[in-house]
Amino acid sequence: MTRQEIHDQRLIREAQRTAMQAHTRRHFLKESAMGLGALAIGSLLGGCGSSSGKYNPVVFDPARPLLPKSPPFSGRAKSVIFLHMAGAPSQLELFDYKPELMKMDGLDCPPSLLAGKQFAFIRGIPKMLGPQANFSQHGESGSWISDHLPHFSSIADEVTFLKAVTTDQFNHAPAQLLVHTGSPRLGRPSLGSWVTYGLGTENQNLPGFVVLSSGGTLPDAGKSVWGSGFLPSVYQGVQCRSEGDPVLFINDPRGMSRNLRKASIDAINKANQQEYEEYQDPEILSRISQYEMAYRMQITAPEVMNIDNEPEYVHEMYGTKPGKASFANNVLLARRLVEKGVRFVQLFDWGWDAHGDHESNALNVGMINKYRSVDKAMTALILDLKQRGMLEETLVVWAGEFGRTPMMENRNGAQNPYKGRDHHTEAFTIWMAGGGIKKGYSYGETDEIGYSAVSGKTEVFDVQATILHQLGFDHEQFTYPFQGRPFRLTDVAGKVIDAIIA
Amino acid sequence: MNRISNVFLVLPMRFAGSKKILVVVSLLVIGILISFRFTKDELVDFNAEVKPILNKKCITCHGGVKAKAGFSVLFREDALANTESGKPAIIPGDPANSEMIRRINLNDPEERMPYRHEPLSDREINILTRWIRQGAKWGDHWAYLPVQKTSVPPKEDPWIKNDVDRFIFERLKENKLSPSQQAGKAILLRRVSLDLIGMYPPQEIAGKYLSNPSEKAYEILVDSLLESKHYGERWAAMWLDLARYADTKGYEADVGREIWKYRDWVIGAFNEDKPYDQFLIQQIAGDLLPDPLDADYIATAFSRNSMTNDEGGTDNEEFRTAAVLDRVNTTWEALMGTTFSCVQCHSHPYDPFRHEEYYSFVSYFNNSRDEDQPGDYPLLRTFNDTLSRELETVTNWVKKYSDEDHSKATKHFLRTWQPAIYANTADSLVNTVIDGNNSDLLLRNNALFRLKKVDLRHADELVFQFNPYTKNGILKLHMDSPDGEVIASIKPALNSKWQISSFPSLQQAGIHDIYFSYSNTSVPVGNQDFHMKINWISFNRQLPGKDQPGYKVVLEKYRSLMKAQVPTTPVMVENPTTIQRATHVFERGNRLTLGKKVEPGVPKSLSMAMPANAPKNRMGLSLWLTNKNNPLVSRTIVNRLWEQLFGTGIAETLEDMGTQGIPPTHKELIDHYAYQLMHDYNWSLKKLLKEFVMSATYRQDSKLTPELREKDPYNKWYARGPRLRLSAEQLRDQHLCISGMMSDKMYGKSVMPWQPSGIWNSPYNGSQWLNSSGEDRYRRAVYTYWKRSSPYPSMISFDGAQRVVCNARRIRTNTPLQALVTLNDSAYVDMAAQFAKRMMREGGKDVKMQISKGYEIMLYASISPEKLKLFMELYHTAFNEFSKDKSSAYSITGEDKELSTAEGAALMVVANALLNLDEVVMKN
Repeated sequence: MTRQEIHDQRLIREAQRTAMQAHTRRHFLKESAMGLGALAIGSLLGGCGSSSGKYNPVVFDPARPLLPKSPPFSGRAKSVIFLHMAGAPSQLELFDYKPELMKMDGLDCPPSLLAGKQFAFIRGIPKMLGPQANFSQHGESGSWISDHLPHFSSIADEVTFLKAVTTDQFNHAPAQLLVHTGSPRLGRPSLGSWVTYGLGTENQNLPGFVVLSSGGTLPDAGKSVWGSGFLPSVYQGVQCRSEGDPVLFINDPRGMSRNLRKASIDAINKANQQEYEEYQDPEILSRISQYEMAYRMQITAPEVMNIDNEPEYVHEMYGTKPGKASFANNVLLARRLVEKGVRFVQLFDWGWDAHGDHESNALNVGMINKYRSVDKAMTALILDLKQRGMLEETLVVWAGEFGRTPMMENRNGAQNPYKGRDHHTEAFTIWMAGGGIKKGYSYGETDEIGYSAVSGKTEVFDVQATILHQLGFDHEQFTYPFQGRPFRLTDVAGKVIDAIIA
Repeated sequence: MNRISNVFLVLPMRFAGSKKILVVVSLLVIGILISFRFTKDELVDFNAEVKPILNKKCITCHGGVKAKAGFSVLFREDALANTESGKPAIIPGDPANSEMIRRINLNDPEERMPYRHEPLSDREINILTRWIRQGAKWGDHWAYLPVQKTSVPPKEDPWIKNDVDRFIFERLKENKLSPSQQAGKAILLRRVSLDLIGMYPPQEIAGKYLSNPSEKAYEILVDSLLESKHYGERWAAMWLDLARYADTKGYEADVGREIWKYRDWVIGAFNEDKPYDQFLIQQIAGDLLPDPLDADYIATAFSRNSMTNDEGGTDNEEFRTAAVLDRVNTTWEALMGTTFSCVQCHSHPYDPFRHEEYYSFVSYFNNSRDEDQPGDYPLLRTFNDTLSRELETVTNWVKKYSDEDHSKATKHFLRTWQPAIYANTADSLVNTVIDGNNSDLLLRNNALFRLKKVDLRHADELVFQFNPYTKNGILKLHMDSPDGEVIASIKPALNSKWQISSFPSLQQAGIHDIYFSYSNTSVPVGNQDFHMKINWISFNRQLPGKDQPGYKVVLEKYRSLMKAQVPTTPVMVENPTTIQRATHVFERGNRLTLGKKVEPGVPKSLSMAMPANAPKNRMGLSLWLTNKNNPLVSRTIVNRLWEQLFGTGIAETLEDMGTQGIPPTHKELIDHYAYQLMHDYNWSLKKLLKEFVMSATYRQDSKLTPELREKDPYNKWYARGPRLRLSAEQLRDQHLCISGMMSDKMYGKSVMPWQPSGIWNSPYNGSQWLNSSGEDRYRRAVYTYWKRSSPYPSMISFDGAQRVVCNARRIRTNTPLQALVTLNDSAYVDMAAQFAKRMMREGGKDVKMQISKGYEIMLYASISPEKLKLFMELYHTAFNEFSKDKSSAYSITGEDKELSTAEGAALMVVANALLNLDEVVMKN
């Protein structure tokens, strides 16, 4: 350890001690749980309707909000990489093999599938659309995977498929919010915020919750899908960008050398130390350490974000091209970030909304490029994590916000120019790997045309509950008081999907 | 107590004569007394003793959410009622026969209560037993009782300056603490300026204060700050978090919304010190005031700051309902410090609000004309002076040739385009489609659609907003059936632009379904194109006085006013009597499961009924809120203003003054000033703020001592002054003042100060962040364009609120990302450059003088020799680098002519560092 680091450690410890002491006094030594405020968070109040158990409250220390914390139970996963295909990919072209649907291709949709249903764009009677892919079985598990994903097929035995996931939101923004915040409305904390709030992060020189996006556009629900909602804003996701500053404001002003920045932070901190001697406010010590940390983050973040120095075989494996904003680059970055101790990495890839009203989103044109753009990289991620011994502690989740109809979309009642499918809530596929999840497993089935779940039906809340479970949280006990009641990610729903846990 | 008193009286008499025995007996008696005091008849305080036990140990199973075995301890009437066993669990006066007492005393964990949990302690059992013996009386929570005149503690001490200090002093003494001495003049100047106006005062005001040695100087300063036009900007920033004000509509595309006139109204209202009761009445019900002015309407945008969802395929009714519930929750949280949203799904688990009462309250807000329309209707159209005069002419004309009601309706229509029927509410659609943004009706040839239950009484004119883009089309209106009587036949001229036009229609009586048919003979058979779009439709009365001289001129004015492109603001407008919505309870909060129908009403447990003569609408509600017997409204604002100055509310949970909130440290202080505010200050917030900042409590030095750190680390008892990090707004505004760049411009459209590119990237939304130019780059933070899904990044880093829903309290954090903002954000780097130039201009030639001047500009104080040495060293390091590398000097200063020398660039580095000092980012 350098002297500087020792000095930092001392400052951190002192700030921590002082803050915790104050904190404890104010909030925890009270006889009654009535004194709980927004700063002292626990589930002492019990869930809205759930009984209050013995559960360690999460301690929020405003001076050191991201220090690593232990989960209440020992978790299998330490970090999460969530790959979100924004726009909702079609399960029928990738994972949910439906030969029967092929037989119905071009026929009018039976009225029984339409009665009482509401679709985003389908009007009147649409035609059925057979799978726009060839399927074959892979691995010892014999998982059906389409030929659009030749690379991914090779790791069929590493992942668990959830084939009967359902949602109740058929518009992108609310459905994405539901996946990430447990509510279709704005204002709730995202999964990554909950996780960093509960676990802090391992590397104080990097944000604990990083967001990467590709495809040219942010997800429909905007930054709210990584917002902190009612949790302190420090837990919101930090967007790392491939153009401009990799982290907002991370670069020194043009013309300022690192040496000069160091000198200026030293001057600031020495002056602040003088201030501390006069005012004795532990907040000043905290500020000193935040400036040190900012300085180190300025070095660490651009280093991690720079993939130029990755060996050629890695670039080959992921299909990465340094300097480009691409899904592949982001996937590689995700691995680098998790390797450096980042707790939660959320990737969004825009452009999966396969309506068929335009060439770019046609199942038989634009989507084929889309499949190619993710196939190699997501496969490489699993293999790379595995070869580095990180897969067991890293939970990888791949999902959209809903599925797509077995019917072909007919926008406003007229035929679309290309083959496409409308939004569908009743069944879609998510896959998960690592982090203590079964390998080469499939859970849940849909009917013979992939319209709705017939067994092993799961909800978005169940997936969230399972993710939290793998990290060491009971999703019913992991709460935060807001607007007069304890809130949790899964609201009043969610069941851990025990069947997929290894 | 009688029994005990008797014992006490008897004993000494019998043993009189023996001093020793007397002492022994007395001790014995005291011992008995003490044990009696805690075991027998001492009156139990429900709120302090019983309620905490019930909340902690019972209510999870026997409360608002669950009432296991038919037993609930939320309300007295439920607690004493028969349970599922057929008898009550609590029998007042008879603990021995009360099931509750039996069960908490059992040993068998399967039978004992709390079920499968730790047994209650002896003390807790004792409290509950005594409570039932004494009649199981319910107590009201302090904040739900009317505000009473509270006597000020008769404390006298040289330190005390006003009544604030008397309350504070009393608790300080109880906690064996002493107040700190008054902070130095420079510190006070900065503290009170940032607190009252959110920025630095003009130099003459500061100078006058610093150079005036008299006791009066501080009060003169406070008065001039309260009179400053910047006062309103600072307090508006606070209010806009509560009002969840933003410049966009939220949800997916999150497109822009013009609602900044509301922000300006709030600033103006604070500046004129509009009494707080009027301030609220206007915001809740300004549209229902007699002859509402534009300002009255604009104030109601408070409720229209809820979000609107434009995404295709969304159900407008779902999001209309969401907006209504948001208004209810905001009204409670912002104005009454109560989190009411729990009651949306079930009776409140802890506080005495019933599920049904939530929906009674909802019904006040459930009849506004908004329906989650992409057009954000209803809108107030603001006319300039010329157009206002024309409006006057038209309304006078209508009054003269028709009647008062007609005139009012015409005026109302021209100002708001109401009452209008939104075209996308049509049904029975044939060859008709609602467009992808859920906004307009699109008509193919031979289209047909229906508007249900249209009020045709007096109507003889149809006005609609539409866009015809194929010629020769005819739109016909049929009464009651698709081939019913034609009451209007319209041949719109080809225009291909959105337009508002009026057409005559046959006058009808009563309320009818209207079928619209569109046909166009020039369109070939099989053509599937759309030929017309319709956005809204209104049935009105024509301009009267056709035969009168001057009619044509007035008609022209009438039509041009109808179409005039003028600024609009979403406001509240009530539904006409023919489109009233009934309000039902949503079972378990689900809007699709309707329960019992409810009427407007307020919760019973607030010990304040709706005044008898209050109308059953938002106006009545606003009168109830601002009635002096409303227990919450005055307490909430007193607590909030205190928090703004001291960093923590007297009741820390600003959002929750209910039983789950953190109990107040100085309840009497809240009550005293809540009473003062209503009765003596006539709701003047400036008077209240002046009282607070004039107190010795506020003026204390904020230094900690080891003793204070030990005894009161969070400054709960106020033995020192507040020491807080500046808010996001204060920080930007202060730095603008220091750099000398602060624009004095007030009001108007929101501005876009510098922001890195690529921040805005919403789908289906082409809007761009266009960096403002000129002085708009340097406007106060409150004028910054606020996009909900992507708020101004540097302000969010400093804990600014996203403004999606009401935010009652910001929580201050301290993170490295904040350091990166003030070190590297180009907006802050620019301010450092401007600050360096100011140091050069005002500090003279010598660098030492320049840096000293800079420090003085920031903190009104001289720099210590130690700090000056630090920054001189930094200067030299920077100077050496820039001397060697001129191009860096050019880069960092943005090639600014005044600065781009090694000297200038070095000074800029120093300026950047100075602006990052803890004492600058904090208020000492």
